[in-house]
Amino acid sequence: MKKFVYLTPKLFFTTLSLLFLLLLACFSIAILFGSEKIPVLKILVASSNYLLGSPSGLSIELETILFSVRLPRAILAIIAGAALSVAGAALQALLRNPLAEPYVLGVSSGAALGAVLAIILAETLPVSQPLGAFFGAAITILVVYLLGQGKRGTSTDRLILAGVITTSFLWAAIIFLLTVASSAKLRGIAFWLMGDLSSSNNTLLGITLVINFLGITIIFLLSRSLNLLMVGEESALSLGVSVEKIKIALYLLASLLTGATVALVGSIGYIGLIVPHIIRMAVSSDHRLLIPASALLGASLLLLADTLARIVIAPRELPVGAITALIGAPLFVYLLRRSA
Amino acid sequence: MKSKIFIVLFLFILLACQAVPQNNDSIAVNKQAIVDEIGRQVKIPKSPQRIISLAPSITEMLFALELGDKVVGVTSYCNYPQAATKIPKVSDTLHPNLEMIISLKPDLVLVTTASQLEQFTAKMSELGIAVFVIKSDSVIGVLGSIKLLGQITNKEQVAKNLIDSLNARLEKVKKQHLNQPAKPKVFFIVGTEPLITVGRKAFVTDLINLAGGQSISEDVETEWPAYSIETAISRAPEIILSPGSHSTENEPSKLTLPKGLEVTPAARTGKIYKIDGDLLLRPGPRIIDGLEQIAKLLYSEEKR
Repeated sequence: MKKFVYLTPKLFFTTLSLLFLLLLACFSIAILFGSEKIPVLKILVASSNYLLGSPSGLSIELETILFSVRLPRAILAIIAGAALSVAGAALQALLRNPLAEPYVLGVSSGAALGAVLAIILAETLPVSQPLGAFFGAAITILVVYLLGQGKRGTSTDRLILAGVITTSFLWAAIIFLLTVASSAKLRGIAFWLMGDLSSSNNTLLGITLVINFLGITIIFLLSRSLNLLMVGEESALSLGVSVEKIKIALYLLASLLTGATVALVGSIGYIGLIVPHIIRMAVSSDHRLLIPASALLGASLLLLADTLARIVIAPRELPVGAITALIGAPLFVYLLRRSA
Repeated sequence: MKSKIFIVLFLFILLACQAVPQNNDSIAVNKQAIVDEIGRQVKIPKSPQRIISLAPSITEMLFALELGDKVVGVTSYCNYPQAATKIPKVSDTLHPNLEMIISLKPDLVLVTTASQLEQFTAKMSELGIAVFVIKSDSVIGVLGSIKLLGQITNKEQVAKNLIDSLNARLEKVKKQHLNQPAKPKVFFIVGTEPLITVGRKAFVTDLINLAGGQSISEDVETEWPAYSIETAISRAPEIILSPGSHSTENEPSKLTLPKGLEVTPAARTGKIYKIDGDLLLRPGPRIIDGLEQIAKLLYSEEKR
């Protein structure tokens, strides 16, 4: 948070275009690599044919692998990575704490519990899962915020502790539900809880795409107010920001982004922590840049993590959450020590 | 004063601890020492009268061996035969209720390696309960287990008849595909989100092989691997099988295939089937029923 670089249009555009190039590179990697080896040249020819609308010239199997398996999965990684990163940045501004993150605070677990409940209670409704996850996330943020509040506002220690306690409680509840309920839909749930991008639910994908896009856009439009909020509520008030309204909006948006994403891909940890931090340390903590840059970088990192998850033990697969946690948890400790 | 109470209490506990094995000894005079399928030596009565089964497959074996009336405890998954559902439930296979097991005073508790109850087995042995472990990792192994079970329960003749008939059916299935030119490529889907299939160590893989098929995921060792969809597509399975619930009998399944698998030969020719999961996933005597069903689907001439 120390770094406050004055945001020039030049810095804004160079950063974003560089990150956009990074996203393109990661996207290409995700499309080029998988458990099946397809020659790069073939993929390039097929892709250009695909874009031109002519037959791809690939066998039907390879075409399906490229366009029905890898492409949707890459899009899913982009949607989820961007949403989790922006949700992280928004929570950090809302709670004025650099270590706030959906996973660490238990918000993802809350969303997961909501989604599990929704699966048990209303299996048939396609929207019930994101809706349940949204309520789970919203309630968890509120509880963690209240638990984390001491006499002199929220402190990092209290907040993290509140997150830990809430997470362990939520996990106990999830395990209880999984033990009691024997719904057929819950079979693969352990994998999903660790974060997994192999979901093929198109309806859910569409819903999440719309929610996440809108959520990220609105948070971006609020970024000026976020800057003032980070400075302090009093100064924000004196500068004409209606603090309460902004806080409620942020709270709902962060819950919505986390809920919609978790409903689709499970609880993928630490992306929302690492990404905004890297941007702050490397470029600027101005939210006008931080929000879009986090979206781009988060999408790129999750694409990379998922490509790893798909190929390290191919043809078997790892849950992508295992990869992000392996990288993210040590980084979290590092940041915690630095900030102390 | 306090220390006296402690001493009394201590003596009482000591007595209570010894009471269990003493009781057992007085009840069963005729004991046989038998080595179970994982090499443990177990002392059990010559003809056990109170048997607890901690797996549905074992329950089915016991009933097939005409021992149904000797079974005093089963798991909540033991749904076959019908009579088994009326026996007290002491476990859900993974979490047996120790207190309930002790109170039922079993003279033989049967466990399968598939339930991964090693710690629980050790604990029961410590308490002087005779636990016999059955290892069921192949179809031939199941026949062996039935034979052994027949030996230790004094039902050798029943076991022999059962095994003979099961063996005859097994040989018939094998003969069926003896002269087939190529083995159909099978993809067995356990779950779709994520895509979970069977590896080489899974019991189902053995079934597929015996039925004359070739599992496309046999190169993976673990039992239930999460599997890459693209590998499944490129290996072009000709038939897709999936465990169904009780009532599903070969009906073209309502299994929603993961995106992409619709281009596989299996999907294009409509060869996607659900088979009663209890027949495929339970290493018990009905396993041959499952085998026959797979074989029928692999080598049926009828067009769908």
